[in-house]
Amino acid sequence: MSSWRGSRLRRFAAKLHGFVRGRPRDAEFCDEIQEHLQLLTERFMAQGMTREQASAAARRQFGNKTLLQEDRRELQTFPCIEALWQDLRYAIRVLSKSPGFTTVAVLTLALGIGANTAIFSVLNALVLRDLAVPHPEQLVRFGAHTPGDHYASVSLPMFEEIVREQKVFSGAFARGGGSSMNLEINGELSRGQVDLVTGSYFSELGAVPALGRLIEPSDVNLNSSEPAQVAVLGYSFWERQCGGARDVIGKTLRIENIPFTIIGVTRKEFGGLSVDMEDDIVVPLSTEPLIRGAVVGDSLQSRSILWLDPVGRLKPDVTIEQARAELGSRWPAIREAVAPAGQKPAGNPWDVERNIFHSLQFTVEPYGTGSSFLRGRFAKPVYVLMAVSAIVLLLACANLASLMLSRSAARSHEFGMRATLGATRSRLVQQLLVESVALSGAGTVAGFLLANWSSRALIAYLYRQTGLFGYVGGKALDVSPDLRVLGFTAGVAILTGVLFGLAPAWLASRGVPNSTLQNNPRTLGLGRWTLGKTLIVTQVALSLVLLAGGGLFVRTLEKLRAVQPGFRFAGVLEVGLFPKPSPFKNGDQITYFRELTDRVSRIPGVVSAGFSHGEVGGGYDWIQKVRIHGASGNPLSSNCDRVMPGFFRTVGISLLRGRTFDWHDNAHASHAVVVSENLAQTLFPSGSAIGQHIDVVTDPRWQDLEIIGVVSNASLYDIHRPPEPTVYLDALQYGTPAEFDPLFVQTELSPAAILAPLRQAFNSLGRQYVVSVSSLRRTIDDSILPESILATLSGFFALLALLIAGIGLFGLMAYTITRRTRELGIRFALGAQRAAVLRMILGETFLLTLVGIAMGLPSALAATRLITHMLFGVTSHDSVTLCTAVVALLGVGGLAGYIPAQRAMRVDPLVALRYE
Amino acid sequence: MDAKKSEVLQGTLDLMILKTLHALGPLHGFGIARRIEQVSRDVLQLNEGTVYTSLLRLQQQGWIAAEWGTSENNRRAKFYSITKRGEKQLEVETENWERIAGVIGRVLRLEEER
Repeated sequence: MSSWRGSRLRRFAAKLHGFVRGRPRDAEFCDEIQEHLQLLTERFMAQGMTREQASAAARRQFGNKTLLQEDRRELQTFPCIEALWQDLRYAIRVLSKSPGFTTVAVLTLALGIGANTAIFSVLNALVLRDLAVPHPEQLVRFGAHTPGDHYASVSLPMFEEIVREQKVFSGAFARGGGSSMNLEINGELSRGQVDLVTGSYFSELGAVPALGRLIEPSDVNLNSSEPAQVAVLGYSFWERQCGGARDVIGKTLRIENIPFTIIGVTRKEFGGLSVDMEDDIVVPLSTEPLIRGAVVGDSLQSRSILWLDPVGRLKPDVTIEQARAELGSRWPAIREAVAPAGQKPAGNPWDVERNIFHSLQFTVEPYGTGSSFLRGRFAKPVYVLMAVSAIVLLLACANLASLMLSRSAARSHEFGMRATLGATRSRLVQQLLVESVALSGAGTVAGFLLANWSSRALIAYLYRQTGLFGYVGGKALDVSPDLRVLGFTAGVAILTGVLFGLAPAWLASRGVPNSTLQNNPRTLGLGRWTLGKTLIVTQVALSLVLLAGGGLFVRTLEKLRAVQPGFRFAGVLEVGLFPKPSPFKNGDQITYFRELTDRVSRIPGVVSAGFSHGEVGGGYDWIQKVRIHGASGNPLSSNCDRVMPGFFRTVGISLLRGRTFDWHDNAHASHAVVVSENLAQTLFPSGSAIGQHIDVVTDPRWQDLEIIGVVSNASLYDIHRPPEPTVYLDALQYGTPAEFDPLFVQTELSPAAILAPLRQAFNSLGRQYVVSVSSLRRTIDDSILPESILATLSGFFALLALLIAGIGLFGLMAYTITRRTRELGIRFALGAQRAAVLRMILGETFLLTLVGIAMGLPSALAATRLITHMLFGVTSHDSVTLCTAVVALLGVGGLAGYIPAQRAMRVDPLVALRYE
Repeated sequence: MDAKKSEVLQGTLDLMILKTLHALGPLHGFGIARRIEQVSRDVLQLNEGTVYTSLLRLQQQGWIAAEWGTSENNRRAKFYSITKRGEKQLEVETENWERIAGVIGRVLRLEEER
């Protein structure tokens, strides 16, 4: 009769109601039954029974009252939840009775879960989180790149040709610049990140204005000689610079002294395309000649300068593979259509540019997560740290499992009793699981708070170190927990609870009730010890893996710190410079820079000063190909830099032969070049390089250069790399603008102390101004920041692992000795030497540790092989690191065995025996 | 225990209670038990406690309603009455029961004819 069952939903609702109302219902029901029994008794008495007989008969006729109550409960509430609640209260009671265990467990879990959540939050913010725009998964970045270089971009004619030809995007836009510029609102000067965009930038990103309107396609007329001079402010720039004033719309903003009308402000949620850079100002791409044309030349019309970042939105039914295939097949035609015209006959160096152009390849990449300044450098270390913290958590689980195992063994009497009273096995397992999940729950809450704090601290540290906070346009990565982080933490919490609770719970419930009750609870079956020992061995093995990995990163950092890069970075300051917005073209460059360098050098405390184009220590990467002038054959890959007189002396690169540049090497002099020693030796193995002529194959401007000097080798741009062959060109001989090049100053003065006289020197010439002064040492420290973070955190985790494994080993030995008090008492009574007992216990500890090490070594070797490419100066199987790790583990193992062994030696045979 | 008395069939108690409330109007648990005892003329053996389980079940389905009131001898008692939905259910179930009873009857007669 199925219809009797009625609807499930209604029954569920009734249950829920009953569950919520709970106790009062119980009492009511009891009253009702009592009343019924009373009436029955009275009825039987009326039939002539005595009160006792009547009451017994009534109870007989009514049936089992308790069963009835249970039936009612089952009908009216959720018995499993009630049991769960009961278990939870019991668990809290039990746990609060052993505060030591509970504290250690919760702390271990808080550290394990906290570390995982913190690292995951950072990983999420840096790599995983989608941009806050509609359908971020449809966004792709596309563009052209030279073989070997991965950064894809396009020129404007190329972008227009691609967009005109394609059938895969529902829309596309391009963004140029993202550079820091001089801004002026209401007469107040500031600097900000200015982005130049095509018309559909805001609409494709689904941006809505907070004030006014945003840039529309009609604002970006690329063919007009008078582009619309309008600007949109980013929300935080607007708050910062305009104090959030609503009347900014219609006001004038001067960018590099060129007036723009403010038409709108974006919303706070709109973060642009970068996760760690702010869009301060957005202007139409068509204003590019106005803003920058005066400084670096007009890029809009150039066919070969690839300076735009193009982004497309895939049509809903188009996959990225289809887009790749479609655009890839059209690419040769597009490239041909926008190729720069060769201006001179073939065979001439001017053809170089065209050849490079024709080797360009086309890519389409997913762009849902946007771009990031930090991602490239820090994603890999964060992934490694994620793996490390996962191992720590696994270790913590193994540790807690063994602790729980000991506890449940100690409670076997209790379980036996409960089983005898009718508890089912699953009920017992449930009880223990509830205990472990309660622990992991408490650990999670603590860990989550810890993670919230530490992920912010980590990001803040990262920013301070990279100087991103000081950098114009930098914004903090958003590490606030989102659904993904919450889900991750919840998943980890439940998994750990089950992982460390399940095995002990299952084993504990295995005991047959009557045997556990009859047996003396002080002697244990040996079976469960296998698991206990396995868990300890696992902990030792896992901590060996972490110690080896952490050790290698620490050694890497040590080696990096000890690198002799071939140049001086102590006592050298780097001065960041910008050209002043208005008239700065007075006088020629050489006279200006000569006078400037001279004035800076005369500041008291300054030893020397010199400009260079490349950022020393900053990972600057400008590779060119050189060969002997007129020769054919494979050219040599070489670093390339443009420097001014004084630079070599300032950074301590010594002149070996010939001379370095002086102020007479101007546009009228013959083209001079200084090369590094290794380049000279490679190109001219026999004989002097001085006076020889070389060509830079990849650039038409630098042909037939005369080597005037040879300088010492240096890892000038990246101390991770061995000194590479380097060509130093004269920064002033080719008329290339040098207003953005940094100045290097050798001095013992601090950046703060030199700032005022520096400013004075620059102001007196009125062409550039000082943006930043920082020490070169700091730049170098920053360049090894990923290694530094890895070494610090993985070292910390390794020590944590060592501590956890030590606690595990200690716990196991201490527990064993408590269990064996009687055995020890008998041994001592029979005359056993205390030293022999000590040896026995220590032997056992060392055996466990050694087995763990033997198991851990292959895993450690396998794991460290995965990080080989992140190491510096050490191999992944570095014997010093491995030996240190093994010794550390043995030391901790010995200590963890020695303390309980001491206690064992003090066992008084009389007490031990009487105890039984 | 009296071997001649039959156990109440699972589910039939619900039907009997519905019918009782339909016929007699609001009653308390004791009254329902008395009525079933009287009607069944001692054929059925009933654990009177099970009446309460059944009452709960019916309440949860919304087929009967309960209200506290005063019994004939001035004691507090819970009175149960059939609801509109209960009336409908009673009709459905009565038909159902008669159909099944008919089928079982036929089957048993077949057995005799052989």
